[in-house]
Amino acid sequence: MKHHIGLPWLLLFAVAGAVMPVQTSAKIVMDQLQRRVVVPERPMRVISLAPSITEILFFLEQEDRLKGVTRFSDYPKQAAGLPKVGSYVNLDLEKIVSLKPDLCIAVKDGNPIEIVRRLESLDIPVYAVDPRDLDTLVETVLEIGHLLNADTIAQRVAGDMMSRIEKIKTRTAQIVCRPGVFFQIGISPIVSVGANTFNDELIQLAGGTNLVKGSAAYPRFSKEQVLALAPEVIIICSMARQGGFERMKAEWNRWSDLPAVKNQRIFLVDSNLFNRPTPRLVDGLELLFQLIHPEFAEER
Amino acid sequence: MSKDAPGIANRILFISFFLMLLLVTAGFLGISTGSSGTGFKPVWWALINDSRSDPMSAAIIWNIRLPRVILAALVGATLSLGGLVFQALLRNPLAEPYILGVSGGSAIGAIIGILMGFSRFPGVSTTAFCGSMATLLLLLLMSSGHSKFKDSLLLSGVMVNAFAGAIIMFLMSMTQDSRLHNIMFWLMGDLSLADMHQIGILAIVLLPCFGLIFRFSHSMNLLLMGPEVAETMGVNIRFVTVALLVITSFMVSITVSYCGPVGFVGLVMPHLLRLVLGPDHRTLVPACIIGGGSYMVLCDILSRVLPEQGEMPAGVVTALIGAPLFIYLLKRSGR
Repeated sequence: MKHHIGLPWLLLFAVAGAVMPVQTSAKIVMDQLQRRVVVPERPMRVISLAPSITEILFFLEQEDRLKGVTRFSDYPKQAAGLPKVGSYVNLDLEKIVSLKPDLCIAVKDGNPIEIVRRLESLDIPVYAVDPRDLDTLVETVLEIGHLLNADTIAQRVAGDMMSRIEKIKTRTAQIVCRPGVFFQIGISPIVSVGANTFNDELIQLAGGTNLVKGSAAYPRFSKEQVLALAPEVIIICSMARQGGFERMKAEWNRWSDLPAVKNQRIFLVDSNLFNRPTPRLVDGLELLFQLIHPEFAEER
Repeated sequence: MSKDAPGIANRILFISFFLMLLLVTAGFLGISTGSSGTGFKPVWWALINDSRSDPMSAAIIWNIRLPRVILAALVGATLSLGGLVFQALLRNPLAEPYILGVSGGSAIGAIIGILMGFSRFPGVSTTAFCGSMATLLLLLLMSSGHSKFKDSLLLSGVMVNAFAGAIIMFLMSMTQDSRLHNIMFWLMGDLSLADMHQIGILAIVLLPCFGLIFRFSHSMNLLLMGPEVAETMGVNIRFVTVALLVITSFMVSITVSYCGPVGFVGLVMPHLLRLVLGPDHRTLVPACIIGGGSYMVLCDILSRVLPEQGEMPAGVVTALIGAPLFIYLLKRSGR
């Protein structure tokens, strides 16, 4: 047994040198958490630690360098075929190391910091992003593009996002009537979105008013509280899909005095368009605009 | 006592040797198993520093799997020993670290640490430790005035645990963002994150505790004969009880703060070993340390192998194996 304890440490040093790919050149970058990260000049084996990062890498057409993704990386379809490294909160350390990454891209909101530290202690650089709103999301796209030497594509993707956002902004600028929206992300219990969330920003940009105020990001509601808010539009954004939505819609329809019921404005939207900080959030924005202001959306 | 000293020493060595073989085998299996591939050859090559050894798989074996195996062994040893001590102290077969609220207290501490945005180590570990120590102090204060110290300790423990459960639910219901995931994962017990440095610290803290408890093993034998007998045999009941309680709670809370609460190990291993080896704590203490360690290493292997994708928490496996095994043993011994 004594033998076994000494040997690993000797080996460890030998191995530590061998495992680090010989890098002809590396660059020091600041990630979005203001941490200094030493990354290869041209990262070739990238592992995405969240579905949103996977989507961004596909948008940047860097899928050839993507060697591993998390379990729920289901967009685009090709992403589902890549090796899985656990879910984004419960990452499989061994699997990540075995894929020999030269760069991991993490998100602050979701990936446990311990995993990031552990990866770094194994000499795997981790670049963390922290998109908080649409502006920082555009920045994130540009930064990941820069990291992967794909600046041109990143500028094209970011430019497309910004011009589409701008288009919606100019359309909603003249709108005076801003319907009260209840954006429901959880069916049982009822959960909505508060200030300082992507969805709150999208509702406002799309010309609506988020009826939920206050600092809690994802507050819970009772049915009574929702009825008291008297929403004119209810948007249900749920992973429970059609079945759960129909039940919830029927539940709301029982309250015929509810403005949203009177005007038949209860909608189901694909949660992946709204809960992942990726360029697809702009699709979500356009969809919201159509749902909240169908009268303006139609006159193109 | 002096007459049977050589006999008992031989017995301890004999049992320890066999359990050690089990532990080494389990450890070897542990470093051979993982999501990047299972096999003995790479491990053997890495062990003998063979030229065929692939540097990457060697790194995985030494930097990821080995720390995990050692952590599992330490956690299993601590929890089994904790269960053994609590069962002897309270003379209650159902006692284990959790029933006294020690783990509940450390869970509250850990959740507060997570909510305050601390990292797992040393931040959350420290708050978890403070939580369990505060619970223990509360327990001792609550039951100190009573004539039936043992019973009131157990009852206070059950109540403190229930109260801790309510506070945990309250804290979780107030949390809505990604920290909730962190809390849930901590509560399920996770062995995958520790590195060698942290495990070294854990081992330095735990090994003296194991030694101290072994020193008290004869007193535990006497305590089991009843307080009157123990007292006439010269055991300072209050001192032994409080000392064992503090040492055990200390080591359990330290392990729980590292890897979250892992249940049922403290209940199953002491019973199993007692059924096989008899009631002498001088053999049971080392047996629980080595046997409990092996059991946890094996459970951790299963937690890595059973799910097709990813891993399940080790605590789920210990409970899934532990509870039925426990019922079977109870039925058999009752016959």
